Amino acid sequence: MATINATISINSDIMSYPININTSMVMNKFQSCHGLEETSGMNVKKFNATTAVKIVDNTEGTASKASKVYIRNTGSSKTNFFYVAFADGAAASDSTETIGKLYGGDWMLVPWLALAAASHDIHVAPSTTEEMTLEWMVFQE
Amino acid sequence: MATTTATVSINSSDLIPGQPLSINASHTLTKSGLTEGLEIVDIGRGELTEASATDALAEAIGTTDSSNWLYLCNKSTNDLHYIQVGIHDIRLGFLGSGEWMWMPWNQGDAEAEINIEAEGVTGSTIPYEYAIFQEAKTLPAKT
Repeated sequence: MATINATISINSDIMSYPININTSMVMNKFQSCHGLEETSGMNVKKFNATTAVKIVDNTEGTASKASKVYIRNTGSSKTNFFYVAFADGAAASDSTETIGKLYGGDWMLVPWLALAAASHDIHVAPSTTEEMTLEWMVFQE
Repeated sequence: MATTTATVSINSSDLIPGQPLSINASHTLTKSGLTEGLEIVDIGRGELTEASATDALAEAIGTTDSSNWLYLCNKSTNDLHYIQVGIHDIRLGFLGSGEWMWMPWNQGDAEAEINIEAEGVTGSTIPYEYAIFQEAKTLPAKT
C-alpha cells in the first residue's frame, strides 16, 4: 500500500480579514483507509495547435474505484490557456462538459470518475498556436 | 487589487519504487486574460444528507467563460462517506472522507452549475467546506 499525501494552502486578502486555508489529505481507495497504489506517472507534453487533445482515456481507470488527476500549465502567460473538459467539448467555451481554463502556472487536482464512456475522457484544448506545455499525472486505485 | 495564491504539494515515498514523488506548484488567481486578481469570494461550510437529492453548490450565474476557482473538502472522518461532485449532468468524481479538490470553473454555460451529493451510508450527514473565488458574480434576481 502506498501513501500519497497532498496539501493545499490558499491565502487571500480579498476580504478585510485574511483567508488562510490549509488542508492535507491522503489519497485513499474508494470507501477505504488504504492508499492508492497506481499512477500514470508524470506526463509532460508541448502543444502548438488549438485542436482538442485527449490526455486521459476512460479506459485508464475504473468507474467504481477512486482516481485523481493533477494537471498544470507550466507556462507563465496570463493570456494563453488550456481549456480542460470531459469529452471533446474542450474545444468549446460554452459547454457544460468544460471544466475550466488553466492559464500559465495554474494547476488543478480533482477526483475523476472513470466511467467506461468517451464522455469521461479528459481533453484539453490550447487557446493558441503558440507553444505551451502541460503536465499531468493520474493517481489510481 | 486582491491577491489570492493557491499552493499544492503532493508527496509519496513509496508510490513509485526508488523514485520519491515530490510535486510543488503555486499560482496566483487572476481574471481571464489579465494579471488582475480575483476579487470575489464565497466561502462556507455545510452538511449534506445522504439519500437527499443532488444540490447545487453554486449556480453559473456569473460571467460566461470567466476565471473562477473551487475549493471543496469532505470533512467527514468516516471512510464510507463520500461526496459526488459534478458540473450539470457530468459527474466529475467522488471526494472521499478528508479529501479536498481544487479546480477551475469557467461557467461555460448558464447550466454549468457545480453540484454535490452525499453518498455512502444511508441517512448519514457529511460535513463539507468550500470556497469559490470568482471573477464576477451576478446576484440572484429578487423573487
